[in-house]
Amino acid sequence: MLAEMLAQPFMQRALVAGVLLAALLASLGLFVMLRKMAFFGDGIAHSSLAGIALAVLLGWAPLPVAVAWAVAVALFIYWLERSTQLHSDTLIGIFFTASLAIGVILMSFTNGYQPELVSYLFGSILSVRANDLLVIALFSAAVAIWLAWSYRDLVYASFAPDSAEVSGVPVRAQTAALYVALAVATVLGVKILGLILIPALLVLPSAASLMVTTSLKGYFILSVVLAEVMILGGLTISYAYDLPSGATVILLGAALFFLAALSNRAAHE
Amino acid sequence: MTSKPLPTTNNGNLPAIAVRDCSVGFGKNVILDNVSFDVQQGQVAAIIGPNGSGKTTLMRAIIGLLPLRAGEIRIFGKHFHAVRDHVGYVPQRFDFDRNFPITVGEFLELARHRHCPKDRVVTKIREVGLSPDIVMARLGTLSGGQLQRVLVAQAILNEPQILLMDEPTSGVDIAGEATLNDIIQHLNKKHGTTVLLVSHDIAMVSALVDNVICVNRQLLCYGPPRDALTAVKINELFGPQSAFYEHRHEHPVGQPYDHGHDHA
Repeated sequence: MLAEMLAQPFMQRALVAGVLLAALLASLGLFVMLRKMAFFGDGIAHSSLAGIALAVLLGWAPLPVAVAWAVAVALFIYWLERSTQLHSDTLIGIFFTASLAIGVILMSFTNGYQPELVSYLFGSILSVRANDLLVIALFSAAVAIWLAWSYRDLVYASFAPDSAEVSGVPVRAQTAALYVALAVATVLGVKILGLILIPALLVLPSAASLMVTTSLKGYFILSVVLAEVMILGGLTISYAYDLPSGATVILLGAALFFLAALSNRAAHE
Repeated sequence: MTSKPLPTTNNGNLPAIAVRDCSVGFGKNVILDNVSFDVQQGQVAAIIGPNGSGKTTLMRAIIGLLPLRAGEIRIFGKHFHAVRDHVGYVPQRFDFDRNFPITVGEFLELARHRHCPKDRVVTKIREVGLSPDIVMARLGTLSGGQLQRVLVAQAILNEPQILLMDEPTSGVDIAGEATLNDIIQHLNKKHGTTVLLVSHDIAMVSALVDNVICVNRQLLCYGPPRDALTAVKINELFGPQSAFYEHRHEHPVGQPYDHGHDHA
């Protein structure tokens, strides 16, 4: 069954895209947990619906428009966060619903059933094309280089922003870059898991890893490993039992989280 | 204390910190109005005042975290950004998720400059009176006193010439407070570090510092505690209900934490 699965070109693209996105989202998920902004992925993913609907309405490629829309929303949230002192979750709640509302209104102008829109809602491994894979690979490489260069600064800026700024870390620039990276990674992940489920890949591996690790290094490594287990295991199970891929990936992640929570509880007893 | 050269010639007459005619505000709210003072190199000085008097605002303005409405602040004659490598900072509050998996060693590493040797982490942990084993402990498992000492260790990791501490003894018990005071004295006497701290504890400050800077929106007094902290000034600063009981607590220089008992 495994050989048969791996022989399918669509499955090969989905697995490669999934492996890259899992590493990408789990790496960024560390900062989401550190900054207590788990809602960010949800907000950005749902906001991107407006970009997708706009692209469908205009007959353009949905992904670039959704990415541009999500980046604009992320930067606007960051700017408002700094200038109004409102908590990011409050702002995300506002933009998430406002952007979703724009998407619903734009969708009402399209005629008939829109398979593209439905695939963005729930994700589809069949929808990953060679071009999408190239975009995901290039963006993952860019984020990997940026993280390798700025990882310590990013952690410092997220953990102790005042001390980081005093010691010369460009806290504002790094935070803005993090928001942009999160927005792009989330929207790219929408292809596979859908905008309803993709935020889970940002949060579940990091949350599970947080339960069982004691060091930052261990936390980072385990988050990425768990995300890969979620993607590879989830896609394999979904192929074997003909289940929806996104939902299967997420349920496997939820199971891993509960195992980690049980392990954490056992360790404290 | 440090081997790093300052950006300018280290002129002994140049104040470590020079605050001139500084005003800070938010909208129509004036927090600090026309405040001026110097902290000389090698001194320990304290900004004191009641809650909401602008102490933390002043500290944050000195380290460039808040913009000035008027006036200027110089560190060794330079803008803060030009000399930040020579300044260490201990924030007033350090709120973090105690479940977050980061070790003490990893936390300290975040602040280590590239030119600073790796073994400095253990050196500084020892210097603040903690066991080197603590670097493997999760940051969230530390007591309030231990965490405060770790924050000091992080602030002095790159061997700054100026140490700025915002309410370093808040949330620390009396024994922990004594330990922190000893660490401050140790850094100042043994390494020549200039220390500026924010406090509302007049008794502690009067026993520890060379100069006090009393603020309550404006500069109300400035100078050695014995001269500056008169009953009239304390009354003016803290109100008629305030009282001052002088605290004498001295320890041998260079033995900042050896009290013969645990301050954890």
